Amino acid sequence: MAVDSRLAEQAVDRGTLLLRIYGWQSSALSLGAFQSLAEAEASTAVGGLPLVRRPSGGGAIVHGTDLTYAAAVPRTHPWGATPQLLYDALHGAMVEVLRERGLDCRLWRPQGGPAADPAEAALLCFDRRSSGDVVIDRPDADRRGQKLMGSAQRRLQAAVLQHGSLLLRRNPDLTAGCHPGLADLAGSPDGLPEPEIVDRWLATVAARLGAVVNLEPVRDPQMLLEAGEDWIERFRDPRWTGRR
Amino acid sequence: MAAEMRFAKTHEWIRPEAGGLATVGVSAYAVEALTDLVFMQLPAVGRRVKAGESFGEIESVKAVSDLYAPVSGEIVEVNAALPNALETLGKDPYEAGWIIRIRPDDPAEMGNLLERSAYDAMIRSQPH
Repeated sequence: MAVDSRLAEQAVDRGTLLLRIYGWQSSALSLGAFQSLAEAEASTAVGGLPLVRRPSGGGAIVHGTDLTYAAAVPRTHPWGATPQLLYDALHGAMVEVLRERGLDCRLWRPQGGPAADPAEAALLCFDRRSSGDVVIDRPDADRRGQKLMGSAQRRLQAAVLQHGSLLLRRNPDLTAGCHPGLADLAGSPDGLPEPEIVDRWLATVAARLGAVVNLEPVRDPQMLLEAGEDWIERFRDPRWTGRR
Repeated sequence: MAAEMRFAKTHEWIRPEAGGLATVGVSAYAVEALTDLVFMQLPAVGRRVKAGESFGEIESVKAVSDLYAPVSGEIVEVNAALPNALETLGKDPYEAGWIIRIRPDDPAEMGNLLERSAYDAMIRSQPH
């Protein structure tokens, strides 16, 4: 989380969209900024998982079999003015990529009512629906569609930091609260290779901006050093994780 | 909306009041852009803040936004009813939806903020 916070600072310094894509050493839960720690720990589905609290909002995400990303733009960026702009830009690009691969997915939109489904208070992000989520309609899914990708933001003074997750496959470490991912829906674990999806997604995002993808090696230790003690201590502090 | 109201680029407004105090809230544009609000954290009365420092947080369906002090000073009152009536922020953001009252260290600091016409021009220039 400290590296992602540093990413937001760098986006301001560089005046552009920065995307960091990362994985997890084991299954883990990331809590939204205002979610209840006690509720997460008491959950029979996810209660035993290692846990981190994000600075971004939204619901809890079970990581480990997903593609996790952090995106940051300056608030002056064309996608930084309102929350929906960045959701729709990054999620819309993913819809394009998945549709190319034969998955008939779409951006979820509320039907006339509020911007979120009434089930919004659910603990897990993938049990919620809000405008701009990537969903796929399936006969065995509920009327809201099966959610494949969700994101949430922290709107800082000069930057917007967005965390998001694309579910790649079911998480075998969960006995309940488990959602199918791309491989399950495609019917083949190799049907949608992750590197190809990432490459196409980045290219599609860049094309929407009229920009080019500039891949840089990930240097988390370096970014942590740059983030400084303030960011590191904030997220290491049990008072942050237990703030609610 | 009072003519003397000023705005921060981060969408907080501030309005001078009698007795050297000023009232702070967030603009209608910002509330509308955040969509459905679900949670708000207010600061403690008596806390001192610097201009540009976060004094609270507001969460909508998918975004947490920090609230930034438009000027430096001491927070002397908070709208304690607001977290349980977040719809007020959308219905009446400039009166009943006020968030904090602050005693500015230097009232002239408000001169660094945007007048309403400049703020309106800023949000008109932003994509929707």
